[in-house]
Amino acid sequence: MNSFGATVPLLLIVGGALLVFLLEAFLKKENKNYLAYVSLFALIGCGILSAKAWNAGRSYFDGMLRLDNPALFLTFLFLIAVAFVILIGMKYISMQDANHGEFYGLLLLALSGLMIMVSSTNLIVIFLGLEVLSVSSYALAGLKRKDDKSSESAIKYFLMGSFASAFLVFGMAILFGTAQTLDISGLIAFFKTGPDNQVLSLVGFGLVLVGLAFKIAIVPFHMWAPDVYEGAPTPVTAFFSVGPKAAGFAVLIRLLAPYWNAGFGSAKLFAFLWALAALTTLVGSLIALRQKNIKRMLAYSSIANGGYMLIAVLAGDGTALLFFLTTYVFMSIGAFGSLIALTGNGREYNELEDFAGIGFKYPWIGAIFAVFLLSLAGFPPTGGFLAKFYVFVGAVRQGLTSLVLIAVLASLISVYYYLRIVVYMYMREPEREVSIELENPALYLVLFLSLYGVLQLGIFPGNVLYLIKQAVSALF
Amino acid sequence: MIPPGYFFILSVVLFSLGIIAFFLKRDLITQFMAIEIMLNAANLAFLALAGSSNFLDAQVIVFFIITVAAAEAAIGLAIVLLIFRKKKTIKTETLNSMKG
Repeated sequence: MNSFGATVPLLLIVGGALLVFLLEAFLKKENKNYLAYVSLFALIGCGILSAKAWNAGRSYFDGMLRLDNPALFLTFLFLIAVAFVILIGMKYISMQDANHGEFYGLLLLALSGLMIMVSSTNLIVIFLGLEVLSVSSYALAGLKRKDDKSSESAIKYFLMGSFASAFLVFGMAILFGTAQTLDISGLIAFFKTGPDNQVLSLVGFGLVLVGLAFKIAIVPFHMWAPDVYEGAPTPVTAFFSVGPKAAGFAVLIRLLAPYWNAGFGSAKLFAFLWALAALTTLVGSLIALRQKNIKRMLAYSSIANGGYMLIAVLAGDGTALLFFLTTYVFMSIGAFGSLIALTGNGREYNELEDFAGIGFKYPWIGAIFAVFLLSLAGFPPTGGFLAKFYVFVGAVRQGLTSLVLIAVLASLISVYYYLRIVVYMYMREPEREVSIELENPALYLVLFLSLYGVLQLGIFPGNVLYLIKQAVSALF
Repeated sequence: MIPPGYFFILSVVLFSLGIIAFFLKRDLITQFMAIEIMLNAANLAFLALAGSSNFLDAQVIVFFIITVAAAEAAIGLAIVLLIFRKKKTIKTETLNSMKG
Protein backbone atom coordinates (compact mmCIF):
# COMPACT_ATOMS: atom_id res chain seq x y z
CA MET A 1 0.00 0.00 0.00
CA ASN A 2 1.42 3.38 -0.90
CA SER A 3 1.01 6.52 1.15
CA PHE A 4 -2.14 7.66 -0.59
CA GLY A 5 -3.70 4.23 -0.19
CA ALA A 6 -3.19 4.56 3.56
CA THR A 7 -5.34 7.66 3.70
CA VAL A 8 -8.37 5.95 2.16
CA PRO A 9 -10.12 5.22 5.52
CA LEU A 10 -9.71 8.87 6.43
CA LEU A 11 -10.88 10.08 3.03
CA LEU A 12 -13.93 7.84 3.35
CA ILE A 13 -14.96 9.70 6.50
CA VAL A 14 -14.33 13.14 4.96
CA GLY A 15 -16.10 12.08 1.75
CA GLY A 16 -19.04 10.82 3.81
CA ALA A 17 -19.22 14.17 5.56
CA LEU A 18 -19.23 16.09 2.27
CA LEU A 19 -21.88 13.75 0.85
CA VAL A 20 -24.04 14.36 3.92
CA PHE A 21 -23.72 18.14 3.50
CA LEU A 22 -24.67 17.80 -0.15
CA LEU A 23 -27.63 15.48 0.45
CA GLU A 24 -28.94 17.76 3.20
CA ALA A 25 -29.80 20.28 0.50
CA PHE A 26 -31.79 17.81 -1.58
CA LEU A 27 -33.58 15.54 0.89
CA LYS A 28 -37.11 16.21 2.05
CA LYS A 29 -37.63 16.77 5.74
CA GLU A 30 -39.19 13.38 6.44
CA ASN A 31 -36.27 11.58 4.74
CA LYS A 32 -33.49 13.19 6.79
CA ASN A 33 -32.78 9.89 8.56
CA TYR A 34 -31.05 8.72 5.37
CA LEU A 35 -28.23 11.10 6.27
CA ALA A 36 -27.61 9.06 9.42
CA TYR A 37 -27.47 5.86 7.36
CA VAL A 38 -24.96 7.41 4.93
CA SER A 39 -22.77 8.42 7.89
CA LEU A 40 -23.02 4.97 9.46
CA PHE A 41 -21.98 3.37 6.14
CA ALA A 42 -18.93 5.64 6.02
CA LEU A 43 -18.06 4.60 9.58
CA ILE A 44 -18.42 0.88 8.81
CA GLY A 45 -16.34 1.18 5.63
CA CYS A 46 -13.64 3.03 7.52
CA GLY A 47 -13.67 0.36 10.24
CA ILE A 48 -13.26 -2.51 7.77
CA LEU A 49 -10.43 -0.80 5.90
CA SER A 50 -8.64 0.14 9.12
CA ALA A 51 -8.91 -3.41 10.47
CA LYS A 52 -6.69 -4.60 7.62
CA ALA A 53 -3.80 -2.51 8.90
CA TRP A 54 -3.92 -4.08 12.39
CA ASN A 55 -0.53 -5.46 13.47
CA ALA A 56 1.15 -4.13 10.30
CA GLY A 57 2.39 -1.02 12.11
CA ARG A 58 3.53 0.95 9.05
CA SER A 59 4.08 4.62 8.64
CA TYR A 60 3.46 6.76 5.58
CA PHE A 61 4.33 10.21 4.24
CA ASP A 62 7.84 10.10 5.76
CA GLY A 63 6.48 9.19 9.17
CA MET A 64 3.82 11.92 9.22
CA LEU A 65 1.03 9.32 9.25
CA ARG A 66 1.57 6.30 11.49
CA LEU A 67 -1.00 3.54 11.40
CA ASP A 68 0.37 1.60 14.36
CA ASN A 69 -1.75 -0.50 16.71
CA PRO A 70 -2.50 2.16 19.33
CA ALA A 71 -3.65 4.53 16.59
CA LEU A 72 -5.89 1.85 15.08
CA PHE A 73 -7.29 0.79 18.45
CA LEU A 74 -8.26 4.37 19.23
CA THR A 75 -9.66 4.77 15.71
CA PHE A 76 -11.99 1.82 16.34
CA LEU A 77 -12.97 3.32 19.66
CA PHE A 78 -13.79 6.65 17.98
CA LEU A 79 -15.76 4.89 15.25
CA ILE A 80 -17.87 3.13 17.89
CA ALA A 81 -18.32 6.34 19.87
CA VAL A 82 -19.38 8.40 16.83
CA ALA A 83 -21.74 5.66 15.63
CA PHE A 84 -23.35 5.66 19.10
CA VAL A 85 -23.60 9.45 19.10
CA ILE A 86 -25.24 9.45 15.66
CA LEU A 87 -27.77 6.83 16.80
CA ILE A 88 -28.68 8.61 20.04
CA GLY A 89 -28.92 11.90 18.15
CA MET A 90 -31.28 10.88 15.34
CA LYS A 91 -34.55 11.42 17.16
CA TYR A 92 -33.19 14.11 19.46
CA ILE A 93 -32.20 16.36 16.55
CA SER A 94 -35.69 16.37 15.05
CA MET A 95 -37.34 16.81 18.46
CA GLN A 96 -35.12 19.78 19.34
CA ASP A 97 -35.58 21.33 15.90
CA ALA A 98 -31.89 21.41 14.95
CA ASN A 99 -30.51 20.68 11.47
CA HIS A 100 -29.78 17.05 10.63
CA GLY A 101 -27.12 17.49 7.95
CA GLU A 102 -24.91 19.71 10.06
CA PHE A 103 -25.03 17.30 12.98
CA TYR A 104 -23.95 14.19 11.06
CA GLY A 105 -21.55 15.98 8.74
CA LEU A 106 -19.75 17.92 11.46
CA LEU A 107 -19.54 14.80 13.61
CA LEU A 108 -17.81 12.97 10.76
CA LEU A 109 -15.40 15.88 10.24
CA ALA A 110 -14.65 15.95 13.96
CA LEU A 111 -14.01 12.20 13.77
CA SER A 112 -11.51 12.74 10.95
CA GLY A 113 -9.71 15.24 13.20
CA LEU A 114 -9.60 12.68 16.01
CA MET A 115 -8.18 10.05 13.64
CA ILE A 116 -5.46 12.42 12.40
CA MET A 117 -4.55 13.31 15.99
CA VAL A 118 -3.99 9.75 17.11
CA SER A 119 -2.26 8.52 13.94
CA SER A 120 0.67 10.86 13.87
CA THR A 121 3.80 11.40 15.90
CA ASN A 122 4.57 14.78 14.43
CA LEU A 123 3.33 17.64 16.59
CA ILE A 124 2.36 19.84 13.66
CA VAL A 125 0.15 17.10 12.17
CA ILE A 126 -1.32 16.48 15.63
CA PHE A 127 -2.06 20.21 15.82
CA LEU A 128 -3.80 20.17 12.44
CA GLY A 129 -5.93 17.19 13.52
CA LEU A 130 -6.76 18.96 16.75
CA GLU A 131 -7.89 22.05 14.82
CA VAL A 132 -10.06 20.02 12.43
CA LEU A 133 -11.65 18.53 15.54
CA SER A 134 -11.99 21.87 17.33
CA VAL A 135 -13.41 23.89 14.46
CA SER A 136 -16.14 21.31 13.88
CA SER A 137 -16.75 21.06 17.63
CA TYR A 138 -17.36 24.82 17.96
CA ALA A 139 -20.10 24.57 15.35
CA LEU A 140 -21.52 21.39 16.92
CA ALA A 141 -21.85 23.10 20.31
CA GLY A 142 -24.01 25.81 18.77
CA LEU A 143 -26.20 23.45 16.80
CA LYS A 144 -29.45 24.48 18.50
CA ARG A 145 -29.45 27.92 16.94
CA LYS A 146 -32.62 29.15 18.63
CA ASP A 147 -31.42 28.14 22.07
CA ASP A 148 -29.53 30.85 24.01
CA LYS A 149 -27.54 28.39 26.08
CA SER A 150 -26.35 26.53 23.02
CA SER A 151 -25.04 29.68 21.31
CA GLU A 152 -23.40 30.77 24.53
CA SER A 153 -21.64 27.44 24.91
CA ALA A 154 -20.44 27.70 21.29
CA ILE A 155 -18.85 31.12 21.80
CA LYS A 156 -17.27 30.09 25.11
CA TYR A 157 -15.87 26.93 23.59
CA PHE A 158 -14.58 28.88 20.60
CA LEU A 159 -12.82 31.58 22.64
CA MET A 160 -11.22 29.24 25.16
CA GLY A 161 -10.41 26.63 22.52
CA SER A 162 -8.61 28.99 20.16
CA PHE A 163 -6.87 30.68 23.11
CA ALA A 164 -5.53 27.23 24.04
CA SER A 165 -4.55 26.57 20.41
CA ALA A 166 -2.46 29.74 20.43
CA PHE A 167 -0.54 28.47 23.48
CA LEU A 168 -0.04 25.11 21.79
CA VAL A 169 1.31 26.69 18.61
CA PHE A 170 3.60 29.10 20.42
CA GLY A 171 4.99 26.25 22.49
CA MET A 172 5.58 24.27 19.31
CA ALA A 173 7.38 27.24 17.75
CA ILE A 174 9.79 27.41 20.69
CA LEU A 175 10.31 23.63 20.69
CA PHE A 176 10.93 23.72 16.94
CA GLY A 177 13.44 26.49 17.45
CA THR A 178 15.42 24.64 20.11
CA ALA A 179 15.10 21.02 18.96
CA GLN A 180 14.87 21.74 15.19
CA THR A 181 12.26 18.98 14.89
CA LEU A 182 8.66 18.41 15.89
CA ASP A 183 8.67 14.62 15.63
CA ILE A 184 8.04 13.07 19.04
CA SER A 185 10.95 10.61 18.87
CA GLY A 186 13.23 13.45 17.74
CA LEU A 187 12.06 15.59 20.64
CA ILE A 188 12.69 12.77 23.13
CA ALA A 189 16.18 12.23 21.75
CA PHE A 190 16.78 15.97 22.02
CA PHE A 191 15.71 16.06 25.66
CA LYS A 192 17.90 13.04 26.44
CA THR A 193 21.08 14.76 25.26
CA GLY A 194 20.49 17.70 27.60
CA PRO A 195 19.51 20.68 25.47
CA ASP A 196 21.60 23.78 24.89
CA ASN A 197 18.77 26.22 25.56
CA GLN A 198 17.49 24.39 28.62
CA VAL A 199 15.07 26.94 30.02
CA LEU A 200 13.68 27.91 26.64
CA SER A 201 12.98 24.35 25.54
CA LEU A 202 11.28 23.55 28.84
CA VAL A 203 9.11 26.67 28.48
CA GLY A 204 8.11 25.50 25.01
CA PHE A 205 7.29 22.00 26.24
CA GLY A 206 5.32 23.46 29.14
CA LEU A 207 3.28 25.67 26.79
CA VAL A 208 2.44 22.65 24.61
CA LEU A 209 1.29 20.76 27.71
CA VAL A 210 -0.81 23.72 28.90
CA GLY A 211 -2.46 23.94 25.47
CA LEU A 212 -3.32 20.23 25.58
CA ALA A 213 -4.50 20.51 29.20
CA PHE A 214 -7.01 23.18 28.12
CA LYS A 215 -8.41 20.89 25.46
CA ILE A 216 -8.84 17.91 27.79
CA ALA A 217 -10.15 20.09 30.65
CA ILE A 218 -7.51 19.52 33.31
CA VAL A 219 -7.99 21.72 36.41
CA PRO A 220 -7.16 24.70 36.48
CA PHE A 221 -7.71 24.88 32.71
CA HIS A 222 -11.24 23.49 32.89
CA MET A 223 -13.38 26.64 33.29
CA TRP A 224 -15.01 26.32 29.88
CA ALA A 225 -16.02 22.66 30.20
CA PRO A 226 -19.11 22.84 32.48
CA ASP A 227 -20.73 25.67 30.49
CA VAL A 228 -20.01 24.02 27.15
CA TYR A 229 -21.25 20.62 28.32
CA GLU A 230 -24.42 22.12 29.77
CA GLY A 231 -25.31 24.29 26.80
CA ALA A 232 -24.43 21.97 23.92
CA PRO A 233 -27.09 19.56 22.58
CA THR A 234 -26.93 16.38 24.68
CA PRO A 235 -25.62 13.97 21.96
CA VAL A 236 -22.89 16.51 21.20
CA THR A 237 -22.05 16.68 24.90
CA ALA A 238 -21.72 12.90 24.90
CA PHE A 239 -19.27 13.23 22.02
CA PHE A 240 -17.28 16.01 23.76
CA SER A 241 -16.96 13.94 26.91
CA VAL A 242 -15.27 11.04 25.09
CA GLY A 243 -13.77 12.05 21.74
CA PRO A 244 -11.47 15.03 22.36
CA LYS A 245 -10.56 13.64 25.75
CA ALA A 246 -9.45 10.24 24.45
CA ALA A 247 -7.44 11.79 21.62
CA GLY A 248 -5.79 14.32 23.93
CA PHE A 249 -4.71 11.66 26.40
CA ALA A 250 -3.43 9.45 23.57
CA VAL A 251 -1.20 12.33 22.44
CA LEU A 252 -0.09 12.96 26.03
CA ILE A 253 0.95 9.37 26.65
CA ARG A 254 2.83 9.18 23.35
CA LEU A 255 4.65 12.35 24.28
CA LEU A 256 5.23 11.81 27.99
CA ALA A 257 5.69 8.07 28.62
CA PRO A 258 9.11 7.93 26.90
CA TYR A 259 9.98 11.37 28.30
CA TRP A 260 9.60 10.42 31.99
CA ASN A 261 12.55 8.01 31.99
CA ALA A 262 15.48 10.00 30.76
CA GLY A 263 14.22 13.35 29.60
CA PHE A 264 15.87 16.56 30.72
CA GLY A 265 13.74 18.46 33.24
CA SER A 266 11.28 15.59 33.52
CA ALA A 267 11.27 15.70 37.33
CA LYS A 268 9.91 19.27 37.32
CA LEU A 269 7.21 18.60 34.72
CA PHE A 270 6.33 15.37 36.52
CA ALA A 271 5.77 17.26 39.77
CA PHE A 272 3.70 19.88 37.88
CA LEU A 273 1.44 17.25 36.31
CA TRP A 274 1.27 15.34 39.60
CA ALA A 275 -0.23 18.40 41.22
CA LEU A 276 -2.62 18.92 38.30
CA ALA A 277 -3.81 15.30 38.52
CA ALA A 278 -4.47 15.59 42.25
CA LEU A 279 -6.29 18.91 41.74
CA THR A 280 -8.34 17.58 38.84
CA THR A 281 -9.70 14.54 40.65
CA LEU A 282 -10.47 16.50 43.83
CA VAL A 283 -11.88 19.71 42.33
CA GLY A 284 -13.93 17.82 39.73
CA SER A 285 -15.54 15.63 42.40
CA LEU A 286 -16.05 18.40 44.97
CA ILE A 287 -17.74 20.88 42.63
CA ALA A 288 -19.91 18.14 41.17
CA LEU A 289 -21.39 17.71 44.66
CA ARG A 290 -23.34 20.96 44.51
CA GLN A 291 -24.70 20.69 40.96
CA LYS A 292 -28.46 20.59 40.46
CA ASN A 293 -28.26 20.15 36.70
CA ILE A 294 -27.40 16.58 35.75
CA LYS A 295 -25.64 17.55 32.52
CA ARG A 296 -23.45 19.97 34.45
CA MET A 297 -22.80 17.33 37.10
CA LEU A 298 -21.74 14.86 34.41
CA ALA A 299 -19.42 17.59 33.04
CA TYR A 300 -17.63 17.80 36.39
CA SER A 301 -17.62 14.03 36.59
CA SER A 302 -15.93 13.98 33.19
CA ILE A 303 -13.31 16.43 34.50
CA ALA A 304 -12.69 14.17 37.50
CA ASN A 305 -12.38 11.16 35.18
CA GLY A 306 -9.79 13.14 33.22
CA GLY A 307 -7.82 13.24 36.46
CA TYR A 308 -7.76 9.44 36.69
CA MET A 309 -6.61 9.25 33.07
CA LEU A 310 -3.84 11.73 33.87
CA ILE A 311 -2.70 9.41 36.68
CA ALA A 312 -2.34 6.62 34.11
CA VAL A 313 -0.29 8.99 31.93
CA LEU A 314 1.93 9.87 34.89
CA ALA A 315 2.51 6.18 35.56
CA GLY A 316 3.26 5.70 31.85
CA ASP A 317 0.71 2.89 31.91
CA GLY A 318 -0.71 2.60 28.38
CA THR A 319 -2.76 -0.53 29.12
CA ALA A 320 -4.62 1.06 32.01
CA LEU A 321 -5.19 4.26 30.03
CA LEU A 322 -6.63 2.51 26.99
CA PHE A 323 -8.81 0.28 29.16
CA PHE A 324 -10.08 3.30 31.06
CA LEU A 325 -10.83 5.14 27.81
CA THR A 326 -12.66 2.12 26.36
CA THR A 327 -14.81 1.74 29.46
CA TYR A 328 -15.39 5.48 29.67
CA VAL A 329 -16.73 5.58 26.10
CA PHE A 330 -19.44 3.07 27.02
CA MET A 331 -20.37 4.52 30.42
CA SER A 332 -20.35 8.16 29.39
CA ILE A 333 -22.32 7.70 26.17
CA GLY A 334 -24.66 5.40 28.09
CA ALA A 335 -25.24 8.01 30.79
CA PHE A 336 -25.85 10.83 28.31
CA GLY A 337 -28.01 8.46 26.24
CA SER A 338 -30.18 7.86 29.32
CA LEU A 339 -30.53 11.63 29.66
CA ILE A 340 -31.66 11.78 26.03
CA ALA A 341 -34.19 9.02 26.73
CA LEU A 342 -35.82 11.57 29.04
CA THR A 343 -36.51 14.23 26.44
CA GLY A 344 -39.85 15.27 25.07
CA ASN A 345 -40.84 17.30 22.05
CA GLY A 346 -38.79 20.49 22.26
CA ARG A 347 -38.16 19.87 25.96
CA GLU A 348 -35.30 18.47 27.95
CA TYR A 349 -35.32 17.30 31.54
CA ASN A 350 -31.90 17.84 33.09
CA GLU A 351 -32.68 19.06 36.61
CA LEU A 352 -32.30 16.73 39.56
CA GLU A 353 -35.96 17.27 40.55
CA ASP A 354 -37.12 16.04 37.14
CA PHE A 355 -35.66 12.65 38.01
CA ALA A 356 -37.74 12.13 41.15
CA GLY A 357 -39.69 8.90 40.81
CA ILE A 358 -38.46 8.17 37.28
CA GLY A 359 -37.32 4.72 38.42
CA PHE A 360 -40.93 3.63 38.91
CA LYS A 361 -42.50 5.57 36.07
CA TYR A 362 -40.03 4.31 33.44
CA PRO A 363 -38.47 1.22 35.07
CA TRP A 364 -36.21 0.24 32.15
CA ILE A 365 -34.68 3.63 31.56
CA GLY A 366 -34.24 4.14 35.30
CA ALA A 367 -32.53 0.77 35.79
CA ILE A 368 -30.16 1.23 32.85
CA PHE A 369 -29.27 4.77 33.92
CA ALA A 370 -28.59 3.46 37.43
CA VAL A 371 -26.13 0.87 36.04
CA PHE A 372 -24.19 3.55 34.15
CA LEU A 373 -24.08 5.76 37.24
CA LEU A 374 -22.84 2.86 39.37
CA SER A 375 -20.20 2.15 36.74
CA LEU A 376 -19.08 5.79 36.74
CA ALA A 377 -18.91 5.62 40.53
CA GLY A 378 -16.72 2.52 40.23
CA PHE A 379 -18.84 -0.28 41.67
CA PRO A 380 -18.08 -3.90 40.75
CA PRO A 381 -19.04 -5.83 38.64
CA THR A 382 -19.15 -2.97 36.12
CA GLY A 383 -16.34 -1.86 33.83
CA GLY A 384 -15.88 1.35 35.80
CA PHE A 385 -14.56 -0.61 38.76
CA LEU A 386 -11.93 -2.51 36.79
CA ALA A 387 -10.89 0.63 34.88
CA LYS A 388 -10.15 2.53 38.08
CA PHE A 389 -8.59 -0.57 39.63
CA TYR A 390 -6.08 -0.98 36.78
CA VAL A 391 -5.17 2.72 36.85
CA PHE A 392 -4.60 2.69 40.60
CA VAL A 393 -2.63 -0.57 40.64
CA GLY A 394 -0.42 0.61 37.78
CA ALA A 395 0.20 3.90 39.58
CA VAL A 396 1.06 2.23 42.89
CA ARG A 397 3.56 0.01 41.08
CA GLN A 398 5.27 3.18 39.84
CA GLY A 399 5.41 4.51 43.40
CA LEU A 400 2.63 7.08 43.09
CA THR A 401 0.97 5.90 46.32
CA SER A 402 0.02 9.31 47.72
CA LEU A 403 -1.52 10.39 44.41
CA VAL A 404 -3.56 7.18 44.35
CA LEU A 405 -4.74 7.87 47.90
CA ILE A 406 -6.00 11.31 46.80
CA ALA A 407 -7.71 9.76 43.77
CA VAL A 408 -9.40 7.08 45.90
CA LEU A 409 -10.64 9.80 48.22
CA ALA A 410 -11.99 11.75 45.25
CA SER A 411 -13.75 8.70 43.87
CA LEU A 412 -15.32 8.09 47.29
CA ILE A 413 -16.67 11.65 47.17
CA SER A 414 -17.96 11.00 43.68
CA VAL A 415 -20.02 8.03 44.90
CA TYR A 416 -22.21 10.52 46.75
CA TYR A 417 -23.31 12.56 43.76
CA TYR A 418 -23.78 9.58 41.47
CA LEU A 419 -25.87 7.75 44.03
CA ARG A 420 -27.89 10.89 44.74
CA ILE A 421 -29.44 10.58 41.28
CA VAL A 422 -30.27 6.92 41.95
CA VAL A 423 -31.84 7.93 45.25
CA TYR A 424 -33.93 10.58 43.50
CA MET A 425 -35.03 8.07 40.88
CA TYR A 426 -36.11 5.38 43.31
CA MET A 427 -36.83 6.95 46.68
CA ARG A 428 -38.70 10.15 45.90
CA GLU A 429 -42.23 10.83 44.86
CA PRO A 430 -42.53 12.47 41.43
CA GLU A 431 -42.73 16.24 41.87
CA ARG A 432 -42.91 17.53 38.33
CA GLU A 433 -44.85 16.55 35.27
CA VAL A 434 -42.45 14.87 32.84
CA SER A 435 -43.73 13.94 29.39
CA ILE A 436 -41.18 12.07 27.36
CA GLU A 437 -41.12 10.62 23.88
CA LEU A 438 -40.83 6.86 24.27
CA GLU A 439 -40.53 5.66 20.69
CA ASN A 440 -36.81 5.85 19.93
CA PRO A 441 -35.45 2.43 18.81
CA ALA A 442 -31.98 3.68 17.77
CA LEU A 443 -31.43 5.13 21.24
CA TYR A 444 -32.51 1.90 22.94
CA LEU A 445 -30.09 -0.04 20.74
CA VAL A 446 -27.24 2.18 21.93
CA LEU A 447 -28.34 1.93 25.57
CA PHE A 448 -28.42 -1.85 25.28
CA LEU A 449 -25.02 -2.04 23.55
CA SER A 450 -23.43 0.32 26.09
CA LEU A 451 -24.92 -1.70 28.92
CA TYR A 452 -23.50 -4.85 27.36
CA GLY A 453 -20.13 -3.10 26.93
CA VAL A 454 -19.99 -1.91 30.53
CA LEU A 455 -20.86 -5.36 31.91
CA GLN A 456 -18.63 -7.25 29.48
CA LEU A 457 -15.68 -5.03 30.38
CA GLY A 458 -16.42 -5.49 34.06
CA ILE A 459 -16.92 -9.25 34.10
CA PHE A 460 -14.99 -10.67 31.11
CA PRO A 461 -12.43 -8.02 30.17
CA GLY A 462 -10.05 -10.63 28.67
CA ASN A 463 -10.75 -10.09 24.96
CA VAL A 464 -10.46 -6.34 25.12
CA LEU A 465 -7.37 -6.52 27.33
CA TYR A 466 -5.75 -8.84 24.77
CA LEU A 467 -6.36 -6.27 22.01
CA ILE A 468 -5.12 -3.46 24.25
CA LYS A 469 -1.93 -5.38 25.09
CA GLN A 470 -1.31 -5.83 21.35
CA ALA A 471 -1.90 -2.12 20.88
CA VAL A 472 0.33 -0.97 23.72
CA SER A 473 3.23 -3.18 22.73
CA ALA A 474 3.60 -0.96 19.66
CA LEU A 475 3.24 2.26 21.62
CA PHE A 476 6.82 2.85 22.68
CA MET B 1 20.82 42.35 8.64
CA ILE B 2 18.67 42.24 11.76
CA PRO B 3 19.60 39.20 13.90
CA PRO B 4 16.79 36.58 14.21
CA GLY B 5 16.88 36.81 18.00
CA TYR B 6 15.27 40.25 17.80
CA PHE B 7 12.36 38.81 15.87
CA PHE B 8 11.89 36.20 18.56
CA ILE B 9 11.79 38.91 21.23
CA LEU B 10 9.21 40.76 19.15
CA SER B 11 7.12 37.59 18.89
CA VAL B 12 7.22 37.07 22.66
CA VAL B 13 6.10 40.67 23.17
CA LEU B 14 3.23 40.22 20.69
CA PHE B 15 2.18 36.96 22.33
CA SER B 16 2.14 38.58 25.78
CA LEU B 17 0.15 41.55 24.44
CA GLY B 18 -2.35 39.05 23.02
CA ILE B 19 -2.76 37.31 26.39
CA ILE B 20 -3.18 40.63 28.21
CA ALA B 21 -5.74 41.88 25.70
CA PHE B 22 -7.65 38.59 25.88
CA PHE B 23 -8.11 38.98 29.63
CA LEU B 24 -8.64 42.74 29.80
CA LYS B 25 -11.02 43.33 26.92
CA ARG B 26 -14.71 42.77 27.38
CA ASP B 27 -16.05 42.27 23.90
CA LEU B 28 -15.93 39.22 21.71
CA ILE B 29 -14.38 40.74 18.57
CA THR B 30 -11.46 42.29 20.44
CA GLN B 31 -10.83 39.04 22.31
CA PHE B 32 -10.86 37.24 19.00
CA MET B 33 -8.36 39.76 17.59
CA ALA B 34 -6.14 39.08 20.61
CA ILE B 35 -6.15 35.39 19.74
CA GLU B 36 -5.23 36.19 16.13
CA ILE B 37 -2.30 38.27 17.38
CA MET B 38 -1.15 35.32 19.51
CA LEU B 39 -1.32 32.97 16.53
CA ASN B 40 0.64 35.39 14.36
CA ALA B 41 3.21 35.81 17.14
CA ALA B 42 3.66 32.04 16.93
CA ASN B 43 4.18 32.34 13.17
CA LEU B 44 6.87 34.94 13.70
CA ALA B 45 8.50 32.76 16.36
CA PHE B 46 8.57 29.80 13.96
CA LEU B 47 10.41 31.86 11.35
CA ALA B 48 12.72 33.58 13.83
CA LEU B 49 13.81 30.35 15.54
CA ALA B 50 13.96 28.10 12.50
CA GLY B 51 17.65 28.56 11.71
CA SER B 52 18.99 28.38 8.18
CA SER B 53 18.82 24.56 7.83
CA ASN B 54 15.14 24.32 8.77
CA PHE B 55 13.85 27.53 7.25
CA LEU B 56 11.83 25.79 4.55
CA ASP B 57 10.02 23.56 7.08
CA ALA B 58 9.17 26.61 9.16
CA GLN B 59 7.72 28.40 6.14
CA VAL B 60 5.47 25.44 5.32
CA ILE B 61 4.31 25.24 8.94
CA VAL B 62 3.50 28.96 8.89
CA PHE B 63 1.23 28.40 5.89
CA PHE B 64 -0.59 25.65 7.81
CA ILE B 65 -1.09 27.95 10.78
CA ILE B 66 -2.39 30.77 8.56
CA THR B 67 -4.93 28.32 7.10
CA VAL B 68 -6.00 27.20 10.56
CA ALA B 69 -6.38 30.82 11.66
CA ALA B 70 -8.55 31.50 8.62
CA ALA B 71 -10.80 28.53 9.38
CA GLU B 72 -11.11 29.67 12.98
CA ALA B 73 -11.97 33.19 11.84
CA ALA B 74 -14.73 31.86 9.60
CA ILE B 75 -16.38 29.81 12.32
CA GLY B 76 -15.68 32.35 15.06
CA LEU B 77 -17.20 35.32 13.26
CA ALA B 78 -20.25 33.21 12.41
CA ILE B 79 -20.73 32.40 16.09
CA VAL B 80 -20.21 36.05 17.11
CA LEU B 81 -22.83 37.05 14.54
CA LEU B 82 -25.22 34.47 16.01
CA ILE B 83 -24.72 36.00 19.47
CA PHE B 84 -25.16 39.53 18.12
CA ARG B 85 -28.43 38.66 16.39
CA LYS B 86 -29.81 37.32 19.65
CA LYS B 87 -28.56 39.84 22.19
CA LYS B 88 -27.87 42.92 20.01
CA THR B 89 -24.53 43.25 21.77
CA ILE B 90 -21.20 41.42 21.84
CA LYS B 91 -20.18 42.40 25.37
CA THR B 92 -19.06 39.36 27.36
CA GLU B 93 -21.02 40.39 30.49
CA THR B 94 -24.23 39.34 28.77
CA LEU B 95 -23.07 35.74 28.45
CA ASN B 96 -24.10 34.59 31.89
CA SER B 97 -27.05 32.23 31.53
CA MET B 98 -25.13 29.29 33.02
CA LYS B 99 -23.66 29.25 36.52
CA GLY B 100 -22.35 26.85 39.16
